[in-house]
Amino acid sequence: MTRRGLWSAVLVAAGGVATVLLPSRATAQATGFIRGEVLDSASRRPVDGVQVVVAGSTLGAVTTSDGRYLIRNVPVGSYTLRATRLGFGPAQRGVTVAALDTAVADFTLRTAAINLSQVVVVGYGTANRREVTNAVATVRSEDLVNMPVASVAAALQGKAAGLQVIQNAGNPGNGISVRVRGSSSLSAGNQPLYVIDGIPMLRDSYSQLGMGGQDVSAVSGLSPDEIASIDVLKDASASAIYGSRGSNGVVLITTKRGQAGRPKVSFNGYYGTQDISKKVNMLNAKEYVSYFNEAAKNDGYADDELPFVPGVDDTINTDWQKAVLQTAPVYDLSVGMTGGSERISYYVSGAFFNQTGILLGSQYQRANVRANLDFAPSSKLSVRTSIGLGREGNVRNENDNTIDGVATNALANQPNVAVRNSDGSFTSTDDGLEYTNPVGLGVLDNAESRTLRAMGNTEMSYAFSDRFRLNGRIGVDMLNLRDLRWNSPLIIGTYAASAAGVAQQGNTTVSRYVAETYLQWDIPGQRIGQLSIVGGSGVEYNSSENDFLQGEGFGSTQFRYPGSAGKVTSYDGGRTDNNLASFFTRANWSLHDRYYASASVRTDGSSRFGKNNRYGTFSSASVGWALSDESWLSAIRKAGDMKIRLSYGETGNQGIPDDYASLARFSKANYADAPGIAPSSLANPDLKWETTREFDVGLDFSMFAGRIGLVTDYFNKKTDDLLVFRPITSTSGFTSVYDNIGNIANRGWEFQLNTEPIRESRAGGFSWNSDFNISFLKNEVTALYRNEPFNSGIRSLNRVEVGQPLGAFQTLRFKGVNPETGNAIYDDVNGDGDITASDRTIVGSPHPKYFGGWTNTLNFKRFDLRSFLQFTQGNKVFNAIRIFADDGGYYFDNKLKDSYDKRWKAPGDVAEQPRLSYDGTSGARDVSSRFVEDGSYLRLQEVTLGYLVPQSLARTLNLSDARVFVSGRNLVTWTEYTGFNPDVNSNGSTASISLGTDFYAYPLARTISFGIRGSW
Amino acid sequence: MPTLIRKTLMRRCLTPTVLVALLTMATACDKTLTVEPTTEVEESQAIIDAPSVRAALAGAYDALQSGSYYGGDFLFISDLASDDVSHVGTFTTYADIDQQVTAADNSTIEDIWDAIYTSIGRANTLIAKVPEVTQLSEEERNDIVGQAHLIRALGYHNLVRLWGPVPIRLAPPASLNELASTERATVAQVYAQILTDINQATQLMSSDSRTTDASLVAAEALKSRVLLYQANWPATLAAADNVINEGLELAPNFASLFSPSAETPEDIWRVAFTATEYNLSGFYYLSKALGGRYEIAPTASLENAYESGDARLTWSIQRDSRNRRYGAKWRTTEGAEDLHIIRFAEVLLNKAEAQTMLGNLSGAVATYNLVRERAGLAPHTLGVDVSTQTEVRDAVWLERRRELAFEGDRWADLVRTQRAVSVLEIPAFRTLFPLPQNEIDVAPRIVQNSGY
Repeated sequence: MTRRGLWSAVLVAAGGVATVLLPSRATAQATGFIRGEVLDSASRRPVDGVQVVVAGSTLGAVTTSDGRYLIRNVPVGSYTLRATRLGFGPAQRGVTVAALDTAVADFTLRTAAINLSQVVVVGYGTANRREVTNAVATVRSEDLVNMPVASVAAALQGKAAGLQVIQNAGNPGNGISVRVRGSSSLSAGNQPLYVIDGIPMLRDSYSQLGMGGQDVSAVSGLSPDEIASIDVLKDASASAIYGSRGSNGVVLITTKRGQAGRPKVSFNGYYGTQDISKKVNMLNAKEYVSYFNEAAKNDGYADDELPFVPGVDDTINTDWQKAVLQTAPVYDLSVGMTGGSERISYYVSGAFFNQTGILLGSQYQRANVRANLDFAPSSKLSVRTSIGLGREGNVRNENDNTIDGVATNALANQPNVAVRNSDGSFTSTDDGLEYTNPVGLGVLDNAESRTLRAMGNTEMSYAFSDRFRLNGRIGVDMLNLRDLRWNSPLIIGTYAASAAGVAQQGNTTVSRYVAETYLQWDIPGQRIGQLSIVGGSGVEYNSSENDFLQGEGFGSTQFRYPGSAGKVTSYDGGRTDNNLASFFTRANWSLHDRYYASASVRTDGSSRFGKNNRYGTFSSASVGWALSDESWLSAIRKAGDMKIRLSYGETGNQGIPDDYASLARFSKANYADAPGIAPSSLANPDLKWETTREFDVGLDFSMFAGRIGLVTDYFNKKTDDLLVFRPITSTSGFTSVYDNIGNIANRGWEFQLNTEPIRESRAGGFSWNSDFNISFLKNEVTALYRNEPFNSGIRSLNRVEVGQPLGAFQTLRFKGVNPETGNAIYDDVNGDGDITASDRTIVGSPHPKYFGGWTNTLNFKRFDLRSFLQFTQGNKVFNAIRIFADDGGYYFDNKLKDSYDKRWKAPGDVAEQPRLSYDGTSGARDVSSRFVEDGSYLRLQEVTLGYLVPQSLARTLNLSDARVFVSGRNLVTWTEYTGFNPDVNSNGSTASISLGTDFYAYPLARTISFGIRGSW
Repeated sequence: MPTLIRKTLMRRCLTPTVLVALLTMATACDKTLTVEPTTEVEESQAIIDAPSVRAALAGAYDALQSGSYYGGDFLFISDLASDDVSHVGTFTTYADIDQQVTAADNSTIEDIWDAIYTSIGRANTLIAKVPEVTQLSEEERNDIVGQAHLIRALGYHNLVRLWGPVPIRLAPPASLNELASTERATVAQVYAQILTDINQATQLMSSDSRTTDASLVAAEALKSRVLLYQANWPATLAAADNVINEGLELAPNFASLFSPSAETPEDIWRVAFTATEYNLSGFYYLSKALGGRYEIAPTASLENAYESGDARLTWSIQRDSRNRRYGAKWRTTEGAEDLHIIRFAEVLLNKAEAQTMLGNLSGAVATYNLVRERAGLAPHTLGVDVSTQTEVRDAVWLERRRELAFEGDRWADLVRTQRAVSVLEIPAFRTLFPLPQNEIDVAPRIVQNSGY
């Protein structure tokens, strides 16, 4: 160790920024390389993602898509190499390394149902599954690719226990809601932290266009094709190393990396067509006309006062859903190349994904390129850089919660009006439509959000010795999102028509810079166990700048930009910043390879909080015990591997959408042309982090030579000091203030069962793998500010109340229909004889009782068949469409056929649904539990049949291997829900409280696709 | 070698490295963690000099522009809850108000409550902070504080009309803790405060004439309205006469009162709107074919209340291609028309009513005839068209309905004149709106209006 090396280390650590280290020459040690290839014993196909490690050291590598690996800087000597991979039994072999020589060690792995030797990424390092003492779930890349969905978050649905994924709406590229072990926050967000190659990733919706629940998400900027594996840190003990942002769980994404050897190219592509999976059953023109006439008669209107004339007003019949729906293509193409020398290896890839929406005027496109380089300038210094660039184009049309939506008006408009007039123009309110023509909206209006994205990081690792390593990392995640919206003046009956066109343009630039340094120190020891310590510090700078223009009045319908407008009618612009400074450390201890313990502490300082509570410290501890390795428990050992885990940890949440929430502020309040200011927020200098404390006990069990594996966890998670935009009396001049109040508890069980019921008896024989996961979750609000409940969401249905699940549906309870009057009967909860708002009561929860997924894979000879079932049970969905589509005839919207068929008709009828009422006097107009439906569903999410092209045929195409497949997604859904899709949330991915509402959400597509994968 | 490195690291490198790192980080942290907002300003930097005081005054007027106040809902619901306007659109909160089934969780009602108190809060901030800013002349300081008092008086009168007894707050909240103990005052206390504020406004404001900001004339006009609600006829008469003596007159053309950027001799106090700071009146009333939302529409009852040939009928109520009535008092969806808070015609009608109640029937007829004649109607003759005090009073009330339709007067006027229960066929408790449930939840000493 030279003084130069030391001072370099000090510099790096002090600045929190990795500085180029000067390699030290003084102690160069004789080293060599180990490389090889790992094949599947059955198919002889290369296996990627295999962790090959030199036993008893930290040296190791992961195989790439061609199954190859390279380990650098291996000191001369003889070693045992271990190759491990989830789903395969471990293998080991000896190898001898000579100075500057390359030893070759190939492996063949047998598939296994589960394996405790798998390598998992845990944040600031990796760990062997065997040593992991907390709850971490891993998803493999092959479970993510070739799904016709834009976002990796959508692809995770049903794949891991404890991970709940809600699609929100079916439009291409839509933002997805992800919950790790339930919702634990009211205002600070419930989405997990995404970390890509060590850098926390931008995750939110940055579009400035108001699109109801159809938000965008920065998570979709990453192509699933680039991902090697995803590890989800579920319990607080695992995520505590991410401190103040760990309480919603952490999704660690590792991208693919290069492998030394000759250049190898692989490609993957599929093409599919999408159709509506389920239409909503609405009335046709004849039924519609008779509905309203019956409604009027029921309310005492005379025959000559009826709203419609049968035989005259019902001669046209339009299926508006059919009119706005289309068969739409989806395709994905990706090409990757890897290769390199022993000092430098590379992985480069490019991908293009294009999904046209099944509703007119919607589309999502993404193009990505990635370059991941690994190089080792000296035997002590290694450098990794990962650069991903992307461009997204997301064309949306408004749907949820608007009167000018395509899906909205396709459901709401009258079936007795044609789509177009005889002259070809779109029909309008002048022609009897109640709402704007949805086909016109889909064809003529346009709203596109284009994102340019750059994610990159460089890591340097300097090994002072094989026990002591200094790491520096700098990373960026930057995006520029450009919104452009055009509301055509050609659609009669819209504001845009009266304003001669409306154009909006928004620019948002979001950037995050991260710099971290940390030391890794391994202390081997026999008697007192092996200890490894990680410790370091980091800073993170976040800024978001935006500007916005809206112009109205255009000289030509060809114009699209506000720059061409007659006048500007709205404008905005500004910037917000928030920074984070952190110190963290973690120690892992193991003894005799059967007792494990881990502890971590992280201190975060956030600029978001007042000086009084700027820093938060989050710590965790966990222990594990490999029971089956105890000689005195040989009975268990005979049965299989068994490990019990126990963990406790604290994590934080600071994700409030206001960077200056602790300050009393004034903001812009102009009066006509006079510049103005007005108070906008009250101060709360005591504002601080939310804190989640979580206890987890787990059991990992594997038996019958790995053919049955079970990972089970019980967790109990309590979140205190909830960050809440707490309502205060508005007589103060303010309606809310950010405050730390209330507690939420989540507890539940998770089971992940991986089995191999039939193992192939010989190469190419029949095999069957079956993986099942299920999560049971109970969510409860346990304290609030003075325990005062409050409501949120569409029609204020989502209740936040002590003793209830977060956002439980509170409304009138529908008890049935009065057989004499046909009126709806509601539960008079307070018994005062009147049905009022105070009779609202909890009628269900938007949270499922349990959810999960079941994957079955069959292999026979060259064929493989996979099916994936996904399910959610026990949650309710507020079908808010029924406010207008099942109101008995108060609104002229088209109505649900199902309720029409079950309506009360005459005194004495025992009917499920109330009578029709033109004046809205039957009680059907009241929002009640009648509109809160069972959202449980079981979905055949995927069936894929693949065929491995024979080598002889592949060779004639110059391919080393090739697989073709045909796949169906969202094939069948079994549900009682009457809307398009029960997997819905019209309040969008940023909604924390108001889940489970369907308000004209974009419908879900069914996709049939075929594709090919190959390499040469 | 490894042993040596380990020892060296332990003794000489690791400890100092970590110490230096921590120290440097700790000092860098405070700088890193202190971030100033750029599109907002911290309270201590907000109202400090002449430009910022003037900006804060503009901010107080801005609160009147809110879509829940004069920019929209406040005006709409006063007509929607009456017999003038009915709901034809999709807002379920509007439907409930129209159907007289408004509940305490009606978000539109809550938003109006919030918007009015926001406006009062901004006035409170001015009244508390402006006297400390010595950079302004005393005259300008007084003028600004006076305007704030009138904005506050307007706010409390709008509150007391809709909800009856409401909490009175006259200063920005000193702390979060005091808020939970907020209570309602009595109606008499609220009216006393309104008159105190009007009188302070009168004492403090300059004599500048202005119509999109509060002025001395506006203070007198508002005073005539407030006293009318208190049935204080002599004082109503005096206040109205004070306005009349300022030389105001009716706009010759009724339509010109509702056109964009038009100024008329009738203007007293308007809320200014522009293309960027717009109102929703035209958009919500106009037919869909004209690009309106057609959320609310005039009733047959209102249409029938007009005599034929009334310029107010022909201007304000139109029919679309499907022969549906729509409100056309404001003719653009853009909403850049300035909206009247109070205008001269109302002051005349306030005076006419006071004259009637004081027994000066001929004076009353002469006063309201000014309004009739401007609408192109023949003047009434006492003893021919109207004779008794009741007939004159009813004629004044009818003229008020016709004149101020769609301007947010009707419901409160029915309640004031105790006609609401019979005309609207509603239970007596519905002559006050429910207080927002959220208010009662967060400040339990605020009790709900009975019946809700």
